Amino acid sequence: MTSPHQEDVASRAIREILGDNATGITTRGPGGEWYVPVDEGVFEQAIRELAVRKFVLISLFCAEGVSPESRHSLFYVLERKGSIVILVRPVAHRQATSIATTWPSAAWPERECRDGFGIEFSGAFDTRRLLLHEPYQKDFHPLDKAFVNAPVTTNDDVPVADEYPFRSVTGEGVYQVAVGPVHAGIIEPGHFRFSVIGETVFNLEIRMFYTHRGIEKLAEGKAPEDCVKVAEAVSGDESVANATAFCMAVERLSGIAVPDRAWFIRTILCELERCCSHLGDQAGMLTDVAFALGASQFSVLREEVFRKNAELTGSRFLRGMTCIGGVKRDIPADRLTDLGEFVGQLRKRYRVGLSIVLSTPSVIDRFSTTGVVKRELLRPLNITGPVARASGGRVDVRIDHPYGVYDRFVPVHTPLTDGDVLARFTVKAQEFLDSLDLIERLITAIPQGAVQSTEPVRDGYALALVESARGQNLCWVKIKEGRIDRYKVRTASYCNWPAIEHAVPGNIIADFPVINKSMNLSYAGTDM
Amino acid sequence: MVNAFSCLVKRKVTEEHPVRSEEIEKLSAEIEREIDARFGRSLAIRELDAGSDNATEIEVNNLSNAFYDVERFGITFVASPRHADLLLVTGAVTHNMEIAVKKTYDAMPFPKFVVAVGDDACDGGIYKGTYAVLGGADKVLPVDLKIPGNPPTPAQILAGLLSLMKNAKKTR
Repeated sequence: MTSPHQEDVASRAIREILGDNATGITTRGPGGEWYVPVDEGVFEQAIRELAVRKFVLISLFCAEGVSPESRHSLFYVLERKGSIVILVRPVAHRQATSIATTWPSAAWPERECRDGFGIEFSGAFDTRRLLLHEPYQKDFHPLDKAFVNAPVTTNDDVPVADEYPFRSVTGEGVYQVAVGPVHAGIIEPGHFRFSVIGETVFNLEIRMFYTHRGIEKLAEGKAPEDCVKVAEAVSGDESVANATAFCMAVERLSGIAVPDRAWFIRTILCELERCCSHLGDQAGMLTDVAFALGASQFSVLREEVFRKNAELTGSRFLRGMTCIGGVKRDIPADRLTDLGEFVGQLRKRYRVGLSIVLSTPSVIDRFSTTGVVKRELLRPLNITGPVARASGGRVDVRIDHPYGVYDRFVPVHTPLTDGDVLARFTVKAQEFLDSLDLIERLITAIPQGAVQSTEPVRDGYALALVESARGQNLCWVKIKEGRIDRYKVRTASYCNWPAIEHAVPGNIIADFPVINKSMNLSYAGTDM
Repeated sequence: MVNAFSCLVKRKVTEEHPVRSEEIEKLSAEIEREIDARFGRSLAIRELDAGSDNATEIEVNNLSNAFYDVERFGITFVASPRHADLLLVTGAVTHNMEIAVKKTYDAMPFPKFVVAVGDDACDGGIYKGTYAVLGGADKVLPVDLKIPGNPPTPAQILAGLLSLMKNAKKTR
């Protein structure tokens, strides 16, 4: 754990911006994040100066009952070089100014705070609803404490005037292609509105949140241990990552020390989850360029990992293992040895599959130069994970904010710079092999001991970041009187989705599926 | 040098491993018989995510991998509800998806079946009684069968489909 007074990039920036007054008001959270309460005048100055210092806005959310002077507070979470500062801005009369014009990664969160809490952002360029689609009543704000979670009445009919306005592109030969929310394949719902000239996409606008299930409100009032399964339901294929982030936040705010063996097991599970995800993506990308031979190599391996998961934990999705204070059950030594052998076999067979793919010109032709994500977008949109690492970004929570045993077991990767589908495929291949190495090293070094701490959960709040298969997942948990008071969760997909609007234009519409799959964005993890 | 050609001359990857368990094979043979008898040799399924956490979709997708390969028995996942005999609904039905769910069902020709897959689709699961969902698929559609699980395994989904067919009247 970080010392409470040790200066880092974030605290130095705050001291430089706010002067010596900052030291009296700045507090350090249990995860090493700095909380800085700011009034309106100071906020404007601080956010401007932090932009100059190249901080990235990684989350913006609202919570109640934190600032003494007002009911609602906005939390602006900014990150740079492994250190985090959170500007806590009290909101009077549910009115605030928008920062989305200078911080694009604030655009969705501001709309989310408006839907959830009724906070109006003046100067915002996009004021359409986000989480709550047309069926919901206009003055309904489910995350506000005044609303008690219960079924609500919705509008049966949506008048044409109230339909969601998409950006329209007009001109000779421009036509629109509307896709979704129900798609052709077995995938999650979302709406894509293409404006097309001939076959080339001129503009793409996405509309999400069809699977908005009210995860954050669902968590409120629950006992912390009952909330782990809510975290697992954020996104099925990120069950372990989100459960780990949630448990980490609770452990940090309660000062619970997780036994070393538990962290080894958690890390093995996290890396197995990454393996499943990357294998699925690679199979999907090959399916989308009609290379079934390659796809089936990876989907066979993936099924085997799923079965191994079930053997180890009783769940193909590794659910029900992670708990506050560690893991529910130990994995016996013989199972771990067996896993080590399995991983060795997997690596060999994976390499065979990979070489088939990489020696097939038609695949390379479809992957190369397709769906480029420009490096300049990474910081403004907070793009993370393999998508960022394929576009020259050196971001990985496991390295930047090491948690558990990642300070001793450091992932190795070499970011690529092309930013196209091929780069994302290659990055995922490298990361898959690296995850196998990590699992083997963890199995060799795992210590004996308990797998769960029995220390009690306390009241308080804390932030936790983890690296899921898709990138940086964030969660902020506040516990009051032993119950969850606020569970803010933001997955990597939430930030990576808008990147697709930039990656697709200029490509032909037939390449959209493979671009989409190469970015592997979770709909459920975004909509929540 | 490994290339696509070497895969053609080599033994098939899937045969080197006991990929298909006896249980799956037995189940599948029965399913094939039922499909032949009741659906004119092919069962066209349209999958619909009504508000799932995507774990169930992954398992439904896995039905097409080399281990299960359900297309062998006449089961196809179709792109349009207009081609479907059966609607496989996953997830609790959210308010944001309600209209799309109804429209998808309405677009299917008769006779048609609805199967709810996963705890959330069966009765709303952990979301029961909250603001964002209506509940299970049966709140919106006439559900013929529920396959519980968080998520159900591919084998459980297959077993569920078999029981549906055994109980369904001959459709042609």
